[in-house]
Amino acid sequence: MQIKFKVNGEAREIEVTPFHRLLDLLREDLGLTGVKEGCGKGECGACSVIMNGRLIPSCLVPAPQADGAEIITIEGLAEGNSLHPLQEAFIETGAVQCGFCIPGMIMAGKNLLDENPSPNEKEVRTALSGNICRCTGYTKIIEAVMLAADKMDSKGSGSDE
Amino acid sequence: MSDKQYSVKDYYCKHTTRCSSETIKDSKRFVGQDILKADAEDKVTGKAVYANDITFDDMLYLKVKRAVHPHAILKDIDTSKAKKVKGVVDIFTAEDIPDLRKFGLIIRDQPVLVALGKTMRYLGDALAVVAAESIEAAKKAVDLIEVKIEELEVITDPFRAMEADAVNIHPDGNILITHNLETGDVEAGFAESDIIVERKYQTQFIDQLPMQNEAGTAFYDERKGRVNIWAATQWLHDIQADVAQSLRLAKDQIRIIQPTIGGAFGKKEDVSVHIHLAIAAMRTGRPVKLTFSREESMITQSKRHPITIINKTGVSSDGYLKAWQTKFIGDTGAYASSGPAVVHKGMYHATGPYNVENIKGISHAVYTNNTYAGAMRGFGTTQGAFAYESQMDIMAHELKMDPAEFRQKNIYQLGSCTPNGQRLNHSVNAEETIKKVMELSGWKGGK
Amino acid sequence: MKQENKQTISGRDFEKYFQVKNLKKALEIKAKYEDQILLIAGATDVLVENYEKLHEIKNWLDLSRVKELKFLEVKEDKLILGPLMTHYELKNSQRLKQKLPLLAKAAAAVGSPQIRAKGTIGGNICTSSPAGDTLSALLALDASFKLQSKIDSRLVKAEDFFLAPKRNGLKDNELLTQIEIPLYPEESLSFWAKIGRRKALVISTLNLALVLYFEQGLIKRAGVAVGSAAPTPIRLREVEELMLGKSLAELNYRELGEEVKKRVSPIDDIRGTKEYRENVVRDTMVNALKSIEKRREGGKNAD
Repeated sequence: MQIKFKVNGEAREIEVTPFHRLLDLLREDLGLTGVKEGCGKGECGACSVIMNGRLIPSCLVPAPQADGAEIITIEGLAEGNSLHPLQEAFIETGAVQCGFCIPGMIMAGKNLLDENPSPNEKEVRTALSGNICRCTGYTKIIEAVMLAADKMDSKGSGSDE
Repeated sequence: MSDKQYSVKDYYCKHTTRCSSETIKDSKRFVGQDILKADAEDKVTGKAVYANDITFDDMLYLKVKRAVHPHAILKDIDTSKAKKVKGVVDIFTAEDIPDLRKFGLIIRDQPVLVALGKTMRYLGDALAVVAAESIEAAKKAVDLIEVKIEELEVITDPFRAMEADAVNIHPDGNILITHNLETGDVEAGFAESDIIVERKYQTQFIDQLPMQNEAGTAFYDERKGRVNIWAATQWLHDIQADVAQSLRLAKDQIRIIQPTIGGAFGKKEDVSVHIHLAIAAMRTGRPVKLTFSREESMITQSKRHPITIINKTGVSSDGYLKAWQTKFIGDTGAYASSGPAVVHKGMYHATGPYNVENIKGISHAVYTNNTYAGAMRGFGTTQGAFAYESQMDIMAHELKMDPAEFRQKNIYQLGSCTPNGQRLNHSVNAEETIKKVMELSGWKGGK
Repeated sequence: MKQENKQTISGRDFEKYFQVKNLKKALEIKAKYEDQILLIAGATDVLVENYEKLHEIKNWLDLSRVKELKFLEVKEDKLILGPLMTHYELKNSQRLKQKLPLLAKAAAAVGSPQIRAKGTIGGNICTSSPAGDTLSALLALDASFKLQSKIDSRLVKAEDFFLAPKRNGLKDNELLTQIEIPLYPEESLSFWAKIGRRKALVISTLNLALVLYFEQGLIKRAGVAVGSAAPTPIRLREVEELMLGKSLAELNYRELGEEVKKRVSPIDDIRGTKEYRENVVRDTMVNALKSIEKRREGGKNAD
């Protein structure tokens, strides 16, 4: 079946089957391999993307459900060579180790900051609670999201997309 | 963000040893400084390429038919129905590659594919590999492979494995390796002890659980007679050698290219996708990909050893350790992997950072039909730490002594000697560490 | 190296994928295919259950676009909910938090932010897991489910709906189309707790819902239900009755905890042992009553 949707602002039209997940569609068909599969069962958060303004596990979305959707993946955050403040903050705080969880973590961070531009630490922890990291112990990831909030705040409103 | 700040050229030097001659002149450039990681930008933008992110045109997808029983003889395997699935290009079993050799990190005891009449020893053993145009076709074909087996006793407990009437999992018996440790005179030590404590400790299987499952892509370069494999591994050259010997190829016919690794923690020391990828690439002449699901990764690849530790310790009434006797029984699962090194390493650390003159220990790494155990952060010592620190607390309690004070009395100092005879000549800060922990935790003493 | 569309779509094993836009059409399809069709809404349970087997599913009925099944309304003395309401929407609904904080709290404990954004309360009900987080809350709140077929509809009480682990009273031609929860005029205070090994992404080792409705200091109505402590989530009517007509001061919390403990039949599993669950359910009941007592004294509704 044919579906139409927008990924990172670009309109796409593609043939899908219900046994392909949004995750497969993004990775295999569109080559957006920044979206990672860690468990395939919604437990790890590595495949998180933003669909219609909500953070969702792309491994638990049958591809046809993406019809008409607007999707943002990790590949859609930087504008040209200019990184998103979250991406800058993850680099600066040393929040990145093996990196496999990072796309999902950053998307979860973005989803939080879109809704709540100045979260406290507890809110950050809750927002990231669906994302597992096995390297860092989370401390620096939480710092990174807090730092990104500061960066975005100091840029003033309207700096976010 | 300025270009300068994130120039790869700037930071590359900071993260490799290539520029070490340059950095020695100005060591303060890095010591005490925040260093940005060279590959962080690729990772935060999703550009970093992990093994499963590599694809080729015309690529085939592999899926492995795993053992259907944890301990059984393979009597028959029928792939005829599976071969009829639309999209299946190739299915191979051990019968198709008769001169395959076994593989393994230390002892080569693991078959690439279980042959007819041979034994599957755990649920991760490979029986057949399917190569197909799509992953769905490969899965479907795997489900249609029919297997006949003769069941054997399933041994999940190393103590059962060591009993005389237990069936042998490997031809030379179920005790893979035994190590001994002896220093001083442990009996004399117990004789001069006022309190003797004996306790048994049990640890469990732990999966290293890196975020990225085992995955790889390969293609066979016929002109050069070389298989190129993109797969994460912690031992690039050992894996290259092991794959080559298993396939009876020269080492330079196997090229392993390391993509970004999504975590390993010991789990990616062992061969996983590599040999199956190489065979499939050579047989089909097409690029091939093999990705494990999380379940497959958990069933098939290594774990932290469950170790049963029996500590018997003697201590004088004024709180000095006099004798330490220990026994480590490690469940190494179906294959050796790093087991021969892990279990006795744990035993060598049995006394932790504490001075004991009289020590006696024995360790056995034992085969069972569980998923094999191998390397994981600490390599046997974490299991030992659980046992010796628990033992120290119990002894302190028996002595009615503050456990912090008891530890300080026995802690390694400069000049202390480890159980296997290593003299500690510098950087022994164990006592300072204890003091700092007491200070930071606001330790108020206890008995 | 990256190429679009390189994985050949094989087999096309699936026959039909219905993405219906209205309930009428959904009911017609359900009447025709009965149990030969897989229902999805948020898909968070179904895709986990069928991991690596999605290509084996022949017929799909995707309800996610049926707008008329997504609503939250207060009608007279009832709060009515569409089964397509996501846990995220329930957790954030000001109206729900005000009227039935117990359910909002239970919805907030489901899975993770990602799962809550996708998973629906209808899915939680129809999966009928003994551990389903919202189910104890629905039981304690005396919810009823409207089960509709092409021909007619019926209202089933939550406590009559769950039959066995992952089995319920839905017939093959029926869909869950509405959840009804009575609203009472009396002052009410509620408690919901989930016991698990982590705070997020954990299946309940145990969950407990308690709601008490007070009239002039006496308990006029009560709802007690537990999850993961029996083959289905269960409502404990007998325990409720022990509290009726009494003030909090007249209750013996410990004894009520023991009464709850007596009526559960948990099993040993990877999340916890029978013994652990029995003891924890007792203590959680005591904590629930203490928590309500504290808030009553403070005169606050907040937990």
